[in-house]
Amino acid sequence: MSTRAALRVVLVVFVALVAQSTVILPVRIGGVHPDILWLLPITGSLLAGPETGALIGFWSGLAFDLVLPTPFGLSALVGSALGYVMGSATQAVDNRAVWLRPVAALVGGVGADMLFAVLGAVFGQQQMVQVNFLTLFAVVAVSSVILVLPVNRLMRWALVVDSNRRSLVSAQPAESGLW
Amino acid sequence: MPKPRRSRRTLTLVVLVVVSLSVISLDLNGRTHQLTSGVKSVANSIFSPLRSGVVDILSPIGNFLAGAVHYGSLQAENEKLRATVGQLRTEQAEKGYEKTQLRALTSLENLPFLGSLPAVTAQTQEVSTSNFTMTITIGKGRADGVDVGMPVVGAGGLVGQVIQSFHHTAVVQLITDGESKVAVVFGNNITGTVDGQGPAHDMSADLVPPQTPLHNGEIMFSSSLNGASLPPGIPVARVNSFRTSAGASQATISVTPEADMSHLEYVNVVLWEPPA
Repeated sequence: MSTRAALRVVLVVFVALVAQSTVILPVRIGGVHPDILWLLPITGSLLAGPETGALIGFWSGLAFDLVLPTPFGLSALVGSALGYVMGSATQAVDNRAVWLRPVAALVGGVGADMLFAVLGAVFGQQQMVQVNFLTLFAVVAVSSVILVLPVNRLMRWALVVDSNRRSLVSAQPAESGLW
Repeated sequence: MPKPRRSRRTLTLVVLVVVSLSVISLDLNGRTHQLTSGVKSVANSIFSPLRSGVVDILSPIGNFLAGAVHYGSLQAENEKLRATVGQLRTEQAEKGYEKTQLRALTSLENLPFLGSLPAVTAQTQEVSTSNFTMTITIGKGRADGVDVGMPVVGAGGLVGQVIQSFHHTAVVQLITDGESKVAVVFGNNITGTVDGQGPAHDMSADLVPPQTPLHNGEIMFSSSLNGASLPPGIPVARVNSFRTSAGASQATISVTPEADMSHLEYVNVVLWEPPA
């Protein structure tokens, strides 16, 4: 990844963090708010492969961990795993498929929240498995499907800096050598 | 796909997982927690003013989105409001935003259970930044004397305890959070603990012997026994229902917070630290 692309990713993560704590946090359904964090590694991995997805997941998770009351590093751990798994699982799929991003956002968002809660409990935060999972999954699933398109647009802007990489991103994400 | 490429990818993931686990270990270890807490504190000092500025600019958008999500309930509420608008006009002078704010603040004045304990009033900035914890972020921090472990009270009683303190902000774990446990005393010096059960369940009182004389509405107060982490006498919860199952080692007691947890715009942080 070029320095310019890396700087753009940092900017996108920052914008997402500000959006999460200002505009998205007050939107609560059944006490649950949408979560934009997991969409960063999901879109990053779909655009540039599992390695880039894992790195974006790690750094964006770490940035969000700075303002979350949960254990520091937990979002980074889940974000890394999410980016890697989503990138690996979708490598054989045509990146231009219309259904890919909404489905990846739905499955990835719910799966990441589940992993986050379970790992939190493993690290001694028992309250993390005492939430209403049905409401949580419903809100996160629907909001992720809605929010994935604007987040994907931002991530595409960040990752596809050079015009000659555009074709690589859409056709061969893992071979693009963005890192 | 070439094997070296796949190996590099796997190596990247392994490195990221190891680094993440190391960071978590540093955070959860009592001796090294100061390090991660310091990093968070610096980040919060930078981010909080920025966030406040953005909130001032973007709050109309947030309100619009929240309104869109709750459209149905807002419509019903709107009907009710229209019916009472005439009555409200006569009380207009009392219904201004400033007066509401003032009422919220004055409800925190002279809380009888605080006695002579010093307290600072703080405005709530954020409610539950994570879907997995029940916390509030308040606009007072170490610079105002607020430190980890200090009790936080609202109108009615205990709201929670400070779990993270930064320079100008602090995070308060609410008593309804699943991780919260408060030592209480009630009735004829009967002791127990009030445990938060998260947003999905009512709070419960534990470690109360079976057949303990109780009545609905009984108030449980913070206890000073066993090196308690709270000053004694703060109302914590009120008994909602109770029963003792056959052969049970303790009573099953459902309680509700004594403080009004739905109005936490302002809270008082009691500047009290447990005795060494």
